[in-house]
Amino acid sequence: MHTQIRNDHALAGQPNAISPSLLCLRHVSKSYDTPTGQFLALTDIDLDLRAGDFLAIVGKSGSGKSTLVNVMTGIDTPTRGSVAAVGKNIEKFGEDRLATWRGRNVGVVFQFFQLLPTLTVVENIMLPMDFCHFLPTSKRRGRAMELLEKLSIGRYADNLPADLSGGQQQRAAIARALANDPPIIVADEPTGNLDSRTSDEVIELFAGLAVEGKAVAMVTHERDLSRHFTRVVELSDGRILSQSEVSVRS
Amino acid sequence: MNIATRWYKLFRDFRAIGGRITMMVAAIAVGVFSVTTIVSTYAILTREISRNYLETNPASALIDLGEVNPSLVDQVRSRPDIGEVEAGSIITARVKLKNDEWGRLLLFVVPDFGNLTINKVFPQAGAYPPRDQTILVERETLAFLGSSIGDAITMQTPSGQNTQVVISGTVHDPALAPSWKEQTAYAYLTPDTLAALGHNPVPELLKVVVKGAVFDQGKVDSVATRLGLELRAQGLSAHQIQVPPTGKHPHQSQMTAVLAMFIVFAFLALVLSAVLTASMVDGLLAQQVRQIAVMKAIGARYGQITGLYLTGILAISTAAVLIGVPLGLLCGRSFAQVIAQLLNFNIASSRLPSWLIPALAGGGMFIPAAFALTPISRATRRTVRESLNDYGVSSKEFGTYGLDVVLSKLGGLDRTLILALRNAFRRRSRMILTLSLLGIAGAMFMASLNVKTAWEYFVASSAKDRGYDLELRLDHSVPTVSLLAAISGAEGVGKVEPWSLAKASVARPDGLTVMRTYPDGGHGNLEFRSMPEPGSLDHLVFLEGRPPAQGEIDEVLLNQSARTLLGDPHAGDVLRLTVEGHSASYRIAGIVRQIVTPPAVFVSGSGFSAATRTSSQTNAVRISTTCHTPEAIAATSAAVEARLLDYDIHIALSISETQVGGAVGGHVKILIVSLIVMSMLMATVGLLGLASALGSNVAERTREFGIMRTIGGTSSVVIRNVLAEGVFTGLVSIALSIVLALPLAIGIGKLVGTLSFGLPLPFMQSWTALGLWSAFIVFGTAGASLVPALRASRLTIRQTLAYT
Repeated sequence: MHTQIRNDHALAGQPNAISPSLLCLRHVSKSYDTPTGQFLALTDIDLDLRAGDFLAIVGKSGSGKSTLVNVMTGIDTPTRGSVAAVGKNIEKFGEDRLATWRGRNVGVVFQFFQLLPTLTVVENIMLPMDFCHFLPTSKRRGRAMELLEKLSIGRYADNLPADLSGGQQQRAAIARALANDPPIIVADEPTGNLDSRTSDEVIELFAGLAVEGKAVAMVTHERDLSRHFTRVVELSDGRILSQSEVSVRS
Repeated sequence: MNIATRWYKLFRDFRAIGGRITMMVAAIAVGVFSVTTIVSTYAILTREISRNYLETNPASALIDLGEVNPSLVDQVRSRPDIGEVEAGSIITARVKLKNDEWGRLLLFVVPDFGNLTINKVFPQAGAYPPRDQTILVERETLAFLGSSIGDAITMQTPSGQNTQVVISGTVHDPALAPSWKEQTAYAYLTPDTLAALGHNPVPELLKVVVKGAVFDQGKVDSVATRLGLELRAQGLSAHQIQVPPTGKHPHQSQMTAVLAMFIVFAFLALVLSAVLTASMVDGLLAQQVRQIAVMKAIGARYGQITGLYLTGILAISTAAVLIGVPLGLLCGRSFAQVIAQLLNFNIASSRLPSWLIPALAGGGMFIPAAFALTPISRATRRTVRESLNDYGVSSKEFGTYGLDVVLSKLGGLDRTLILALRNAFRRRSRMILTLSLLGIAGAMFMASLNVKTAWEYFVASSAKDRGYDLELRLDHSVPTVSLLAAISGAEGVGKVEPWSLAKASVARPDGLTVMRTYPDGGHGNLEFRSMPEPGSLDHLVFLEGRPPAQGEIDEVLLNQSARTLLGDPHAGDVLRLTVEGHSASYRIAGIVRQIVTPPAVFVSGSGFSAATRTSSQTNAVRISTTCHTPEAIAATSAAVEARLLDYDIHIALSISETQVGGAVGGHVKILIVSLIVMSMLMATVGLLGLASALGSNVAERTREFGIMRTIGGTSSVVIRNVLAEGVFTGLVSIALSIVLALPLAIGIGKLVGTLSFGLPLPFMQSWTALGLWSAFIVFGTAGASLVPALRASRLTIRQTLAYT
């Protein structure tokens, strides 16, 4: 496989570039009040996420990656600028509307998996369907099992998360993110807690989702994984330092 | 059945903290139990006391005419405003008690037992009506006398004959308090039997029931007064008209007031358990902060998560209701039976109003849920980002409050202790809830015992104030000098003083004597008494005013019960009283405190002589015995009586300190015991709260303990830290309890004292209560902390650091 990183505009006109933007950030800034004054976490961010994108968000610690992910998922709202999803500005949504929007449209994957410890693996997958009334109750387990099988952890369906290894838990977390079949998947350092072999497997999974037409954005520290991405956004001090398209060849 | 996944989460989360959930159920169950017990008791008793009393068809008025003939009865019966009329007599006599003392005996003379329509009694055992030359006694009198049906008792009528009379049966008279409580025996007999006892059998009283005025005091007063005036116009002498409060048992107001106080306490217990629930929910959600954030991140709305936890709390409170309500109903019925027995009435039905059980269940379910809504709402309203960044301390980190600055500068103590002090204030809202819980529980416990102490002090000081051991009332006045001489020579007599006695009432323009008195004469009477010169046996404690001026025959003292009865007059006011049929004006010189004494007006000896048109005569004496044991008092009483008989002086009534003590104890024991039981329930809720709060605090700091141990802290350091925090919280709560107990004890003391003595009880700190509560809290908090502390100390460092 050969990876080539090109200038931001080099891939203009490629299929994913012209498909409609599922998530569109314009002039997004985010600041926090701290005891030592105002802290600017993001400054004037413009970013689009389209179907088929597999976007890597990279940068040093404190560069604003997690804040960007939070803004993209509606977990946090921008101080300035807009976040549009299918033509609607989600930054104007209330908490409940955001939760419903997120449940239906964004699958969130956390670094520490964040599976609910008292639910079995399959129940963890069924939970988003429950909250968003996705599918009739009787069909949810079937859908959850399909996802678990797809992610090769079907046999652990009735185990508690604590019984699973880190990699298996992260697969379960990805399955949960896919439960409501959202068009967007956002992952915050999903490989940060995994060994390199498992990390590769998880990245392959995300790449596969992008190939299937999902828009996937992922925060990562690991630049050597960049061969898997279609686009890399590098943040520094809350600003986009560079944004480049990646051409993937086998 | 397909159940939504989030309910599995709730169920398993609760199962994982089964111990705390059990505590929550127990705490709410205790609150629900308390409320159900007291409210159901209240509902049963207020209905049944009224039903029992009204079933006797109580006389609206009793007119003392001295002699009532059948034609007069017929004449009064024909009046349109009178429903029923009967003739009868109520005679105060004496009876020999089992300790050989003489006790008070009320003889109710019933001309026709088969046709008794007013102040009815109900046959219980033995004969009814009484066999010839025998008596029936009230059912509670039998035990008071230590007798059985068929036994003969020795009684003495005012005419002075000692006669043996056989008890042929018992009756129930629901309008009377039990004999042991009033220290009075009640007997029912025919005029023939009365004649055999040497007393005039002609009825003295006209008992009337005013038509259509069961609860209409105004109409009864007006009809009774009009009737009295008409009878007087016919040339009859209406000595006295007794008009008891309409439709109300003599102890109904006291019972209702005390039960109302318990209802307030019981609701307080429920509110405390609800506060405890809120505190526990706060602790539970503190551990669920990230999970809530994750649920919101995957699409859960505020309403869904709030609904989830609220349903959980409702399930807990429902379980508590299922335990607390049936137990409370059971206990309420038993408690009602106990009170009914204390007040001598029967409970015909324990049925409760149909709305009550649903209301109790609803309150038990929704009050805790309402309190829990605040912490639930606070936790679920937090943003996802905020929640994901939660590391177990408040968003305003330690150091942002003035108190934190003080705590952070604490030095000179063991580092573990300083850490424990600071930790106690990290979760401020939980700390406030825990302190409120323990503080109020402790306040109730201390207030109960403070009231008990004040009551005992009051009773003890009143006995000391009285300073006499025996009061003897004679059947007629005798020359004072010869009386004192006769008594002084009797064995066991220390000091003797004349305290003559007459009945008094507020003088009315129409000249009638109308008293708000029940047939037993024990409630609402006003005594007019002569008072010896200063230095007497009764050490008067002045509430206001001063002693009457020397030689002033129209200056009087009132005791506080008389002040209440006479409408709260003050020193300097003028009263117009009718004594022995003669009216005169008296200026109130002062108000004195007299506990366990009927309403009385005190006047100088010369004032008494002027009012009663007597001179140097006495009809009552008070005696201080040389030895104050009940046996010695009884022996002295017998010796005095023997001496007086030598002088042909007869005693109508003797009242000893032993009997007064019995009456006092009987009136209040149940109240104090109930208060203490209630406070113990509160203490249980409080301790459950503390255990829960500490459990949550420790669980939240699991990581911190791991870090402490990573940097060299041993398990004992962790245990010491948690124990110190628990005990510190407990000590702060003790201080809070002491402060809160003050107004609470004053409030309860005011209610109890006013109902019992017509005076608020003074505030008295019970050091026993303080010591007991402090020990309970220190050991309780140490014990409650030990479990989570041991659990925390047993976790491996890896487990603690992996804790989320």
